[in-house]
Order: sequence, then structure tokens, then C-alpha cells
Amino acid sequence: MLKIKNLKADIENKSILNNFNLEIKPGEVHAIMGPNGSGKSTLSNILSGKKGYDVSGEILFENKNIFELETEERAHKGIFLAFQYPLEIPGVNTNIFLKTSLNAIRKARGEKELDAIEFLKLVKLKAKELKFDEEKLNRQLNVGFSGGEKKKNEILQMSILNPKLSILDETDSGLDIDALKIVADGVNSLRKKDNSFLIITHYQRLLDYIKPDYVHVLMSGKIIKSGGPELALELEKKGYENFN
Amino acid sequence: MEEQLKIDFEKLLETSNFSKKNVEIKRKNFENFIEKGFPNRREENWKFSDLNQIISKNIKNLSFYNDLSKPNKIDQSIFIDGLEHNKLVFVNGRIEKIEFDYEEKNKIEILDDLVLEKSNNANNSLLFLNNAFVNKYFKLIVKKNYSLKKPLVIYNITNKDLISKSINLKVNISLEENSSLKLIEFFNDRSITNFININYNFDIQKNSILKNYKIDNNSNSNIKYSFSNINQDSNSVSEIFLLSSGSEFIKNEINCNLNGKYASAFVNGVFILDETKHHEIKTNINHLAENTKSYQLIKGVLEDTSKAVYQGKIFVDSKAQKTDGYQLSKAILLNDNTEFNAKPELEIYADDVKCSHGSASGSLNEDSIFYLMSRGLNYQEAKKLLINGFLLDVVEKITDSEIKNLIKNIMSLKQ
Repeated sequence: MLKIKNLKADIENKSILNNFNLEIKPGEVHAIMGPNGSGKSTLSNILSGKKGYDVSGEILFENKNIFELETEERAHKGIFLAFQYPLEIPGVNTNIFLKTSLNAIRKARGEKELDAIEFLKLVKLKAKELKFDEEKLNRQLNVGFSGGEKKKNEILQMSILNPKLSILDETDSGLDIDALKIVADGVNSLRKKDNSFLIITHYQRLLDYIKPDYVHVLMSGKIIKSGGPELALELEKKGYENFN
Repeated sequence: MEEQLKIDFEKLLETSNFSKKNVEIKRKNFENFIEKGFPNRREENWKFSDLNQIISKNIKNLSFYNDLSKPNKIDQSIFIDGLEHNKLVFVNGRIEKIEFDYEEKNKIEILDDLVLEKSNNANNSLLFLNNAFVNKYFKLIVKKNYSLKKPLVIYNITNKDLISKSINLKVNISLEENSSLKLIEFFNDRSITNFININYNFDIQKNSILKNYKIDNNSNSNIKYSFSNINQDSNSVSEIFLLSSGSEFIKNEINCNLNGKYASAFVNGVFILDETKHHEIKTNINHLAENTKSYQLIKGVLEDTSKAVYQGKIFVDSKAQKTDGYQLSKAILLNDNTEFNAKPELEIYADDVKCSHGSASGSLNEDSIFYLMSRGLNYQEAKKLLINGFLLDVVEKITDSEIKNLIKNIMSLKQ
């Protein structure tokens, strides 16, 4: 599904990612762990097409080089980024935003757009699954939401848009245990044989709830070690500093 | 220009039937205007919008005489659809229709043969010009305890026959005790490079409510000045919303005197400007009695080389204890060549008051755009959603839901 080859990314002449390689197959869950400043967020930004980076190398999504695609085209193809810091968008109603987003993606995929009633039915169902307060959906997007609610809102968007590749950028940070469980349940319910996940995190904690198939350790812009879930436990024990 | 002015003024007096008293007042005002001329940037009030320069740059051979002898056709397609309303229709500065079909006839009164009142804004040369050249001016009186059943729309229509003229209009509105009026002022301009000078005087008596919505949305090359003078007695409310978008230049000036206890004034407005448009909102809210309240929220979205100005003044008299005054202005600059000038002024002589002001401007948040694009919206859609969200905040302040929806439709904010 996703093949990253020799990815190099600089920002203002500072090297962030270097010789980065990763392959994710359909249905797999990969976790990338790394200390602050190792390039985790840069990776998720680049996968989603954020401007401002000098990049070289290759990122193939379903065998197509995504460097040629705009951010929204990547979303249409099924790439979803759950933001580390979801933005507050004043004046934009959450439900309206969700419907606009879903229909933009459905339209691009050549599917029928949902009308208001079909959409509300879907969103109600998904909100209930995630124990997301429905009343919040009538408020301005993320405005006045707590940190946990913002993260849940990301997972709600993910479950409504049903992407092929979901990138979770430190979704666990700032969540209490109850919220963490709900978020993890949401992710787990989306695990299917053709949906893949890339989970970016500092801590092993989230991986207790979402079992990854592979764990990668990212340091100074490249993957220094890959392994199974046991690698996360080892990392937790040793700490990043003593890991080399 | 002075020669032209004199010729046009004499022609106006010759061809109209003004009373002796009015001719006398008009001559006085004319002389005052000749002496002062159009305002320029040396006046504090006009420092961001030099009207003298704007007029000479945009209007060639401005003439002040406008032949009102022949009626103009009204293009009915301009009328607001889906909203039952009373009408006052001006076409090219001439009154063409007065229609109050929805109201009880003895509850409103319309006068048009009036003696000009002495203006108490002695420094405003545009009011001199208005008094000198205005033809018929109207006074609407809403009687005690009467609320108009439907809004009144004042249509200000100009068509392509009107070129490089100075048009002067004056409407006085008096709301007697316990009455209310919703007034929409709606511009539709197909004319070219005229100077349109409008003066409203509102007298809002005890417990009465005025809601005034001014909609300038159709792109046009006219230069406009609208001055509203509002006097409010105790417990009265005025709510003003300005959609400032269509004209090449418009300055909306509002002078509001909160004369009675517990009177309150709300002034909200949006600038949506592109190309070389230059708009200004200038307010003077004068708190002259105890427990008065004012609230102002102005937002702008500026594109190309457009410019917006907001000068908001809150004056609190020493008698006006427990005043609550608030003003905030914000602008999104979509281009480096746009300009937003905000000049908040607080002048406070009472010691027990709550007053605040703020202003901010900046470009669209690229991170927000990225967030929306990552959800499948293209750049234009993301930008539009953010801008609409930014402006919606102001439109939501409109308390009449029917008119709020109308304005959302006009602004394409309907979600």
C-alpha cells in the first residue's frame, strides 16, 4: 500500500529525515516510536502533503508517486492524518465540515454524495460508537473542545471518512486512560484486511491497546531498528538514550 | 468645481418649489459648503480616506444638478424576494414609490414638505452639501405603541442613465414611545461614478427599538457617504448591521447619542472588499446617561489592493456612570497589498465604567487550510470555509432571524 524509499526531507536547510525507508502492506499496523525532534511529525506532514519541506526520494501509495498529488488529492485517495494538534476553526460548524469533507471525498471517488439525512444517520452512529457527545457536533469545529475531545473528533472523522491509510500523529498524547481506550477501540474497529495504520507515538502505552504488527524506532531522521511489538517494550525499559 | 457648483445650485432653486424659509436655509448651507469644500485628510475624521482626492480621482466633471422632473422606471426584479416588506424606492435620487401595504395607516405618518432643520453637526461639510442640494426630504413617524408588522426596505437604486452626478438624500425617522421598526437599506447600482450623499436622522424614544441593516453588495463605481445621526431615549435599543462590500468607496458614519438611561446601541459590520475598493466605518458612540451600553464588532476580508478603515470612538460623559462599552475589529488580509486601518478611541470622564477595545489583522492561517485540505477540501474550498466562518460570527449577531437568513443568502454564507 505504502512504500517510502530513500526519503530525505529538509526544512530551511536543516535535515529532518534522511535515508528513510518504510513499507506498509494492506491490513498492517505499523508503529513508529522516537524521541522529540526525531522527525516523527515531519513524516506525517510530508505524507499528507504539507508545504514548506524540501523533499527527495519516493513515496508510493498504491504504486503512485504521491509527490505529484495535492493534499486534498491524497485525502481523496484514502490517506488520513489524525493531527497531533487538531486546529480550532471558528465559525465552522462541525457537522457541516464533516459533511463537506465526506462528500468531497465521495465525489472524488465517483460515489454518490450523501444528503443531510443520510449523513446525520451515519454521524450519529459513529459518534455513539466513540461515545462522542453529539451535541458537540453542532458547535464550531474544535472551538472550546478539551484536548481529549479534539483527539476523539479526529478519530470520529477517521471513522466517517473510512480511509485506506490512517496516520495517527501522537493521538495518545494528552489523553486520559478512558479516552485512550475509546480512541483505541475506534481504531481497532476500523482494522480490516485492506485498511492500514501508521501510529506515531512517544510511548508504548497506546500499543497496549492497539497491537501493532511492526514497531520501528526513529532516531535522527531514520529508522534505526525494526521489529515486532516486543521492541516497544524493550524501548520502554531502556529509554531512547541507551537504545543505540 | 466652484463655478459648476454655483451654476447647479441656482438651477436647482429655479426649477424647484422650495419654500422661502427653505431657500434661505439652503443658501446658508451652500455658502458653508463652498467655504469648506469636500473633506480631506487634514481633518482627523478623514485622515484615512481623503474624500476630496477620491472624488477628483474617480469622478470626471461632477455635476450637482439632477433633473428630477421625469419619473424613472423601477426594475422590479431588484426587489428582495421571499421577504414581505414595505417599500420606499428611490431611483437615481428621485422617490418613485412609497408603499406601506402591511401596516395600519393611522399608526404611521409620512411627511415630505418639511422645513430643513438646523444641523447640529456644524463641522460636517457633507451635511451642508446635503442640506443645500437635497430635493424633497422625508420624515417617517411611527406612532406610540406601534411596531411595524413587516420590515421597511429603502431601495436606493441607480441605473445606467446616471453618470457623474452628486445625489443627496435625507430621511428622518422618528420612533415614538414603545414602537419598533426594522429598516433595511438596500443599494443597487448600475450607474457610473456618482457621488451619493445620504443623511439619516433617527429619533428613538423611550422603550423603542430600531433595527437597521445596510446592504451595499453589488459591485459598482460610485462614491458614497452615509451619515446616520441617532438619538436614543431611555431603554431604547438600536441595532445596526453594515454589509460594506459593493461600492468603489463608501464611508458609513454613525453618530449615536445614548441620551437616556439603559439605552443601548449595537453596531456590527463586515467589509468584503476586492480590487481597488476603499471602505470606512466611523462611529461615535456617546454615552450621556447612566447604565448605557454599546457593543461594536467589525470584521473585514480584504483582497487585491483594497483598503478598509474602522474608526470607532466611545465617549463616556461624567454623568454616564456604569457605562458598558465594547469594541473589537479584526481583518483577514488575503494579499500583501491590502490595508486595514483601525483607530479605536476611548474618551472617558466617568469613573465607574467598563470599556474595552481591541483590533487584530493578519493573513489566513495556513495551518488551518492544511487541516481542511487534509480532509479532502481543495484550497479554494478551504479558504472559503475559513473566511465564511470568520464573517459568520458577525452575521450571527443579527437578532432578527428572517433578516439574518436573508443576509446570509446575500453573502452566500448559507451552510
